[in-house]
Amino acid sequence: MTPVKLVFKNISRRKGRLVFTLLGITIGIASFVTFMAMGGNLKREIHRETAALGANLLVIPKGSCGYEQLSILTGDQMPTNISAEEIASIRAIKGLTVVPFLAQQTAINNKPVTVSGVEPAATLAFKRWNVSQGAYFSSAEESGAVLGAVAARQFNLKPGEAITVRGEKLKVLGILEETGGRDDATLFLALPVAQRLFKSSDKVSYAAIRTEKLDQTEGYIEQIRVATGLGVVSDKQMLKSVLGIVGTVNITLQLIAAVAVLAAAFGIVNTMMAAAYERKREIGILQALGASQRMIFGLFILESGIYGVIGGVSGVITGLLAASAAAPYITQNAFTTLVKGSGNGSLLDPKIIAASILFSTVIAILAGIYPAWRAARLTPVEAISYE
Amino acid sequence: MNNIIRTEHAAKSYTIGEITTTALKDVSMEIPQGSFTCIVGPSGHGKSTLMHLIGGLDRPSEGKVYIGDIEISRIPNNDLAVLRGKRVGFVFQFFNLLQGLTAIENIEIAMMLAGIPEHKQRVRAEELLAVVGLTEKAGSKPSQLSGGQQQRVAIARALANDPDILLMDEPTGNLDSVAEAEVLDLLQELHRQGKTVVIVTHSDEVAKRAERIIRVRDGLVAH
Ligand SMILES: Nc1ncnc2c1ncn2[C@@H]1O[C@H](COP(=O)(O)OP(=O)(O)O)[C@@H](O)[C@H]1O
Ligand SMILES: [Mg+2]
Repeated sequence: MTPVKLVFKNISRRKGRLVFTLLGITIGIASFVTFMAMGGNLKREIHRETAALGANLLVIPKGSCGYEQLSILTGDQMPTNISAEEIASIRAIKGLTVVPFLAQQTAINNKPVTVSGVEPAATLAFKRWNVSQGAYFSSAEESGAVLGAVAARQFNLKPGEAITVRGEKLKVLGILEETGGRDDATLFLALPVAQRLFKSSDKVSYAAIRTEKLDQTEGYIEQIRVATGLGVVSDKQMLKSVLGIVGTVNITLQLIAAVAVLAAAFGIVNTMMAAAYERKREIGILQALGASQRMIFGLFILESGIYGVIGGVSGVITGLLAASAAAPYITQNAFTTLVKGSGNGSLLDPKIIAASILFSTVIAILAGIYPAWRAARLTPVEAISYE
Repeated sequence: MNNIIRTEHAAKSYTIGEITTTALKDVSMEIPQGSFTCIVGPSGHGKSTLMHLIGGLDRPSEGKVYIGDIEISRIPNNDLAVLRGKRVGFVFQFFNLLQGLTAIENIEIAMMLAGIPEHKQRVRAEELLAVVGLTEKAGSKPSQLSGGQQQRVAIARALANDPDILLMDEPTGNLDSVAEAEVLDLLQELHRQGKTVVIVTHSDEVAKRAERIIRVRDGLVAH
């Protein structure tokens, strides 16, 4: 006999209670795992997308807040009210490379897809894209679409095939090499074509800007504001405000997970209190046989710790299953595209798995302290007194 | 003869809420090493309380209790637990065994608590089951054993760490006369082998076998 064997025998005596206690921990840890992994993915994705933009400054409609900035990263539809005149006056400022974008959404085969209207030559130079199949736009207003690698794969499209955007048949001109960012899932149109299809006259949604002198960002921002009255943010400010939004979402998710874990912890407290009460006499016998208070305390802590380990393992498994089962149903919107973007692979991160099981164990041990203390505090005579 | 157990003016009272019950008033007595002693007296007069004090299961409210030269009424809880495990074997009237464990596991537990490695526990537990004549019941749960068999397992377990003192609180209290005789024979044999045996009892049958009798009445010992 060893303490661990003894504890397993005790645990397995009450199968119903074992199952329900473990269920509680499993649910708590599963939600914890899922939300933690999601939160981690979101942050990572935002950093990557911001870097993929390749801009130091972004010009956005007046009065924009963090949500518009988030839309730039996620490829959501955006208000389109920056005029060609305003773009021209920004371009008049020396030391700036200015690339305007029209951000829209359409559907192919009933599935949403991000549409980006671009100035072909300027954007190619700015983004340093490579074409993997077919050809890039040959003129500034060529009618036709260039697809990101993931979009081409998703809709199974090859150069020369036709797609319909807003009732107009367009030829697929070419497919870009994979970039690892949002652009992969985007359908690109020449800006004039996009403006015609989406009835935006000469307007665009935002402009990405690269500055010649990195240390003069503040000065450029001021110049653009004076020239146009539009909103201007640096990439760092954008990162900050978008992470701020995501942080709020994260905190909400984490609160939900915390409540679930807390409920599970109280489940353990409950189970262990019942065990301490039921085994009062057995505790007395163990004490008569030479078990110290430390030993009794240890046995109870070991028992709740084992609940934590088993619940942690099954919670992680459940979390992974839930995440992969849910993934196909997550439709594109501001947050979920980002979550989906980096795939579910990061859920399988061994660090997250190990940390979750450890977390579950620590919570279970903490939850076991009070019942264990109650059990250990019984004097042998109290424990064996008949009645 | 050496006195292995000794009390000096030991008193014990229990307070529950506002009510204080005095279980033992002033007990000074000794039990010689290797003796077969019975503690007798009417129900509710403090026999079990006295047994708990001399076995280190409880502490006196006043006075002193010794096992050998150690004043056990003064040593820390954890040391007292170790001393119980090594030097004293207990058998109670009811519910001695852990219900979730088999007979042999119940014996192993006592050795586990004394820090004996698992493989040695099994060998010794088998020997002890043979001593009490229950080899074939090794894998039975307490609920599958008769009252007499359960008490014999409890005695085997009390012997596990080879203690010099065996303290029994009405060990045959709910056994029929045949089972009682078997258990008493076993205890007498252990006494012959040198153990100090102390039995709390009501039964004249049991008291007849004792070398020494301590009479407890109203929380006092009548010499
Ligand atoms: N744990 C306890 N708490 C309160 N009172 C107790 C406790 N144990 C014993 N007593 C009281 O002390 C007295 C002596 O009890 P006990 O030693 O069990 O007597 P006996 O074993 O002779 O029947 C009784 O009045 C009993 O009710
Ligand atoms: Mg009694």
